[in-house]
Amino acid sequence: MALQAFTPSQALTLGVELELQLVSTHDFDLAPQAEDLLRVLKGHTGAWDVKPEITRSMIEIGTSIQRQHAALVAELQDLRGQLARGARKLNIGIAGGGTHAYQHWSQQQIFPGERFHYISELYGYLAKQFTVFGQHVHVGCEDGDQALWLLHALSRYVPHFIALSASSPYVQGVDTGFDSARLNSVFAFPLSGRAPFCLGWDEFGRYFDKMTSTGVVQSMKDFYWDIRPKPEFGTIELRVCDTPLTVEKAAALACYLQCICRWLRESKPFEPAEDDYLVYTFNRFQACRFGLDGEIVDPKTKERYRLRDDILRTLARVDEHALDLRALDASNLIRESLFEGNDAGWLRAQHARGLPLSAAVEAATRRWMALD
Amino acid sequence: MPTPASAASALAPSAAASAPLWTLEGLRAADPVLGLALLMLAAVVIAETLHRTWRLPRICGHMLTGALASPLMLQLLDRFELDPWKPLIDLAIGALVFELGTRIRLRWLIDNPWLALSCVLQAGLCGLLVTIGLVWMGAPLVTAAVAGIVALSTSPVIVLAVTHESRSRGQVTERLLLMAALNSVVAVVGLKVLRVVLASSPEGGGGDEVLQAVISALRVISGSLLLGLAFGFALDRLSPLVRGTPAMPVLQIALVIAASLLAVQWTLSPLLALLVAGMAARTRMSHGLVVEPHLGSAGAVLNVLLFICLGLLFTVEGLRTLWPWVLVIVLMRLLGTSLAVGALARHSALGWRQAGALVLALQPMSSLAVLLAADTFGWTSQLPGVHKETLQALLLAVTLMQLTGPIWTQLSLRYVARETNPG
Repeated sequence: MALQAFTPSQALTLGVELELQLVSTHDFDLAPQAEDLLRVLKGHTGAWDVKPEITRSMIEIGTSIQRQHAALVAELQDLRGQLARGARKLNIGIAGGGTHAYQHWSQQQIFPGERFHYISELYGYLAKQFTVFGQHVHVGCEDGDQALWLLHALSRYVPHFIALSASSPYVQGVDTGFDSARLNSVFAFPLSGRAPFCLGWDEFGRYFDKMTSTGVVQSMKDFYWDIRPKPEFGTIELRVCDTPLTVEKAAALACYLQCICRWLRESKPFEPAEDDYLVYTFNRFQACRFGLDGEIVDPKTKERYRLRDDILRTLARVDEHALDLRALDASNLIRESLFEGNDAGWLRAQHARGLPLSAAVEAATRRWMALD
Repeated sequence: MPTPASAASALAPSAAASAPLWTLEGLRAADPVLGLALLMLAAVVIAETLHRTWRLPRICGHMLTGALASPLMLQLLDRFELDPWKPLIDLAIGALVFELGTRIRLRWLIDNPWLALSCVLQAGLCGLLVTIGLVWMGAPLVTAAVAGIVALSTSPVIVLAVTHESRSRGQVTERLLLMAALNSVVAVVGLKVLRVVLASSPEGGGGDEVLQAVISALRVISGSLLLGLAFGFALDRLSPLVRGTPAMPVLQIALVIAASLLAVQWTLSPLLALLVAGMAARTRMSHGLVVEPHLGSAGAVLNVLLFICLGLLFTVEGLRTLWPWVLVIVLMRLLGTSLAVGALARHSALGWRQAGALVLALQPMSSLAVLLAADTFGWTSQLPGVHKETLQALLLAVTLMQLTGPIWTQLSLRYVARETNPG
């Protein structure tokens, strides 16, 4: 199967996908009720989309194509309102967060569907362990070459998004010590990690042909890269974020990405190089493990920076683009979160008050559904 | 097998007492505690065998053991000999009802008013259709109404036991537990209201009796609510003393015993009191309340005893002549539940397959509403003047739908609703 042509799309348009947890209001463990919620939401009134995910306790929502922060927030808030109403009708809760704090992977049920059963057959228990929840952000590109250039240029900023969105400190009832333990589940997949360093769509097509000829992959969906091109949408897709605990944070992260992309495209502060990836895995680990307190290495200067400081510097660089894109509210929210801490810290603070993990999940549920 | 009350007479030298333990005579004359232990042993073995051979719910085996030991079969125990054990059985029921209460979230009825309507309609239609059906068969209206009210409830202990065993999670499971709890409460209240209606009828005792019946009904309902609230609050206050220690289930069981016995002593409704206690405790304590299934292993033992006793109460007397009446009760319940759940399924956000599953899962019958309020297991004898055949038909229907009920519920949750984890 050949790589499909890259569908041109308007540059810097945005699309946000969020994988969400469905929890029982009784014990706040995951509730296998995706089919019920999808049925209730069948006649929803938004331009957004809601669909199943690999296990029956997850759903994925996707916004329509957006250009500006205000409209994106408005759509996400409408979506949240309709989802919350549907969930209350079913006596379930909806929560953000990259992992559920104490669900047991073996109790998860694969959602009935051809693709999900294929994944389950292929990956065995890994498929059930993939009950993790991420935010994916699509950024529109005019052509495949632009998309691949942007994809590799963004690789330096991947740790920013991991640290800012990190909301998965707990796995199977234990504090892992990581701010984003979710990505450890993703790393287990053989085709995860970074995309190969190709800067032209034709070159990427040749790589794709080689891979399909081995029988290892059949489509782009088989790559679980941190950033991957999505030719049918005409976008690149950033996949490293945990689902934040609020839709406002999700919108702010998407717009922060939009601002960086605009700055990279217009200012071209550097040319991406294969050597950028020498420190890529180390930086990503630092972001997952220590969040905003992690230290990253600049691939060019080899200097070390604290992630919090690097994000602050980047925010200053992209501020004029935020102004042009009407995304200053998003920048401000990101800036504030650098001092308040990420969602992983918020979840730990709930548990530190002496409450059981179920209370932390309930608090996260109330926060996502805007019930407080 | 003598109970403590008759143990003294059983100790008297007799041919039965000297019979070896492996004979029926020996078993009938055995020490009550030894007899109980042997009965529970048999129940566990039979339940496991049935479960492994045909995947039947274990409580079917427990009830079958009771039925085997009952006057129906081996006559090891008479149902009236169970009366001294009644506090223990009440406790077992109480523990399950309390646990059910902790799972009920009344806020759901506000968030989904169609579901609330569905609950009311299910109880109302079941009671009404069974009453009409029995009157059509020739039963007097009052007895038919008593039977209708008893028949409208679903056994909360059976559905909770089956959901525990199958570890089901999902929309049908949640609605099943909610509706079983609510229709049991409707049955308790319904019996009280019926007494008021009867007292106000021309055949009733007139003004004084109506007033007395109204006061009694209000006293039972409000008293049970207050007692439940008090014990919910008490658990909240005492829990910090034992939090995180193995004493937590002990505290919960102790409070359930106290609430249950006080409710009986003050002629309130233990079912209502313990449901409210569970709900109040959950509301007050939220995540601080950890309730183990059956309130822990001690509760699990009582659970086995409870289902053995339910089996001992089974009856087949008059089945040959009363089967059409039994059929009417069972079918009218099924029809009432189907109409109520089906009519409001889509409005209350339930799929058709799930609606079918819920109807099937709600079939286990319960006589708990009257059993918990009655002083003895022979509660039917406390209803003088009732139509004996109708009441016997009701008991036969209860027998049938208690023995087979767990199977319907399990089939529903596993194969129709698909809410048990196949992995």
